[in-house]
Amino acid sequence: MAAGEFRLRVCHAKSGRARFLSHLEVMRALERSSRRAALPYAVTKGFNPHMKAAFGPALPVGTAGEREYFDIWLTQPVPAAEALERLRRSTPGELGIREVRYVHEREPSLTAASTMARYEVAVGGEGVTAEGIAEALVTVIGEGRLEVERKGKTKVFDLARSLPEEVRVGSTGPPVIVEVTTRMGQEGSLRPDALLEEALSRAAVDGAVVSVTRTDILIEEEGVVRRPL
Amino acid sequence: MNSDLYQRVEALLPRVERPVRYINSEWGARHASDGGHRTVLLYPDTYEVGQANQALAILYDRLNSIEGLAAERAYVPWVDMAAEMRAAGVPLFSLESCSAVADFDILGITLPYELTYTNILEALDLAGIPLDATGRAEEHPIVLGGGPCAYNPEPVARFFDVILIGEGEDAVVQIATAHRDAKRSGLSRSEFLDNLAGMPGVYVPTLYRPAPGGGVEPSGSAPPVVMKRVLTDIGVHRPPLCPVVPYMDVVHDRFAVEVLRGCTRGCRFCQAGMVYRPVRERSADDIVRDVMEGLRCTGYDEVSLTSLSTTDHSQLEEVLRRLTGRLEGSGITVSLPSLRVDAFSVSMARLVSGGRKSGLTFAPEAGTQRLRDVINKNVTEEDLIETVSRAFSAGWRRVKLYFMIGLPTETDEDILGIGGLVYRVQQAAREAVPASDRGSVRIGVSVSTFVPKAHTPFQWEGQIPTEEIVRRQEVLRSAMPRKGIDLSWHDAEVSFLEGVVARGGREVSAAIEDAWRAGARFDAWTERFGLAPWRQAFAEAGLDPAAIASRSYRRDERLPWAHISSGVSERYLWLERERALSGTTTVDCSFDGCTGCDACGTLSVDVLLGGEARGRR
Ligand code: SF4
Repeated sequence: MAAGEFRLRVCHAKSGRARFLSHLEVMRALERSSRRAALPYAVTKGFNPHMKAAFGPALPVGTAGEREYFDIWLTQPVPAAEALERLRRSTPGELGIREVRYVHEREPSLTAASTMARYEVAVGGEGVTAEGIAEALVTVIGEGRLEVERKGKTKVFDLARSLPEEVRVGSTGPPVIVEVTTRMGQEGSLRPDALLEEALSRAAVDGAVVSVTRTDILIEEEGVVRRPL
Repeated sequence: MNSDLYQRVEALLPRVERPVRYINSEWGARHASDGGHRTVLLYPDTYEVGQANQALAILYDRLNSIEGLAAERAYVPWVDMAAEMRAAGVPLFSLESCSAVADFDILGITLPYELTYTNILEALDLAGIPLDATGRAEEHPIVLGGGPCAYNPEPVARFFDVILIGEGEDAVVQIATAHRDAKRSGLSRSEFLDNLAGMPGVYVPTLYRPAPGGGVEPSGSAPPVVMKRVLTDIGVHRPPLCPVVPYMDVVHDRFAVEVLRGCTRGCRFCQAGMVYRPVRERSADDIVRDVMEGLRCTGYDEVSLTSLSTTDHSQLEEVLRRLTGRLEGSGITVSLPSLRVDAFSVSMARLVSGGRKSGLTFAPEAGTQRLRDVINKNVTEEDLIETVSRAFSAGWRRVKLYFMIGLPTETDEDILGIGGLVYRVQQAAREAVPASDRGSVRIGVSVSTFVPKAHTPFQWEGQIPTEEIVRRQEVLRSAMPRKGIDLSWHDAEVSFLEGVVARGGREVSAAIEDAWRAGARFDAWTERFGLAPWRQAFAEAGLDPAAIASRSYRRDERLPWAHISSGVSERYLWLERERALSGTTTVDCSFDGCTGCDACGTLSVDVLLGGEARGRR
């Protein structure tokens, strides 16, 4: 950080129709929101000066998010409440701004620090029951490893590592709501829909993942798990 | 009535490419309340191609600013989505309210380019609207066309109830208002259309029939010649200051202010330069005010000062100095879409480009001075070399040059001339940069094939045949320097089809329909283009496409577009043709006095520079 810059962390949603946006589209939209909010944003130096901002881990097209994050550097400290209000007014409702707070420059970057994410996966379909899904998940997780094919490449996940918390299956439905916490990072991030799709195919039931929502992004620090804000 | 189709649309989205095309809810989208008169404006291509179209953005803004009128947007779904929609029985929908396009009062379709015509039929079919204007019933929307290709409307005339010729910001509001009033007073569709045919700029194709000598003529009291609509001062309407800001990465994804309309440099191949006369500039004060307000409202990090020839604006330097001053330190950039070949343009580009040295673009168009004089492209080789040297000494490393082949009177010598010119540009560029940097010098060369367009001095000329296009492209390739040149050219078959559709008359509409039925759509997309459905369609319609594209007309023959006028007289166009053939150039009337094209007198308008009338001299 250059001296005299203030790092504002913003928590926002990616909901409703906006879940069909790509990460790049969300980034661009929020940068435009920040300019519309007339925040005194810092500009990078160099050949192609642009707004100084950094975004959290990407969400795929189709996946919603309840608490997503980005950092923006300001050249003047606008009171957080005012920045929140201005951002809210200049952001489409489906990317609703939830919270802002200044964070220390020593705070690690969002992408580096975020190592876990919680999801809610809705599974629908004729034959889908909570018990059926729970059973199938026990089988899949019991095997300890999951092969996922994406874009012609196979990736193997160690489930003991990739699933740091117990998977919880809701009692109502369909759609049955499944809560999954996965680890993300350099070694790859397990997509919760991949886990559920595997479970569905094991259980041989006629069902499908109907929606995926990332409800939280988490930072692990010396054994403590916390939100970025 | 719950007309919202979104639930049904959403169910299809996980299965299609780029669902962001169909979700609406962008910043700046207007959601009119129910009850008023509703127009849906359709761009006949995908969302990302059409979203930034400035003409539609202007009409959207105008209609939504008027009490009791409302406008929404629609685009053509990509082939995957169209298949899903047909399978699920979901009709073509508007974005804002996600209602069926067929439920609107007016369906406005812009005509940007000939190779989008099959998409118009795809859109009508998906909407459940009969393709033929004569097949439509009272409940169907009025299908209204307009835009650049309206200057030769016949190939698509059958599919439209109304085609507007010329500038739409006032005319479209008048048409929508007239339609609302007609509905209120219980007029039938045909009564409304009969009345509308008297409005300036309005062409109602069903009121015209083929004329014995070619072209069409009114069958009743409709005007024999429809004169284009034109604004005397574009400053009376501010540009859209809070346009829709897309989520998707669209073509021309930036805020835009139209700084001038028209161009009177007089290039003889250029339809836009003839049909958008005269030149009318927005004043420097208005431009600066509107740029700043639009940037605040949209949050864009780039603004483009658009027009056919922005470096011709008489106050450009002032505008750029004021804008760069105001935008200092904001990371927001100003861009100029095209540059004139001169030192002034390079210094203007330097003013706005800051550190970013993306490429510069110039259009010498032809390879020899003789041919440049024929087409009235008033650029000399010295100008070009000098301009390129200046740009490369100022830090640029890339330049793109646009040329055309197939121009009237062209010989192989002219084509070889392109190669020679490119070589000398390359040498000049290399000499202008430090030796260590020579490797990074890139010269892009883009070569299109000339299509003789309606309402230009070359409208009487035929297009060269496809085999000849291919041969000349071969000559060109052999003439190009071997290294450091990125050469690209337009597919000969695409240019041929453009020629057929741009030069044809009403008979071509049958082939467009057949081609669409045979599966042609998104013809402007390289990966989708194929001549096969078109060949089949021409055969079924009993047409020889080569004869249509390459047909030359005599002065006394009636042209297929003779019932449409841009205000520039046929007399003047013919005179310009004769001057072309004798290699005589014509000056720019905005700066050097009226050259007598008749547009100003016929249309009762005047050249407006910096917001002030210059007066015809
Ligand atoms: S009438 Fe004269 S001044 Fe007007 S556009 Fe034509 S040439 Fe230019």
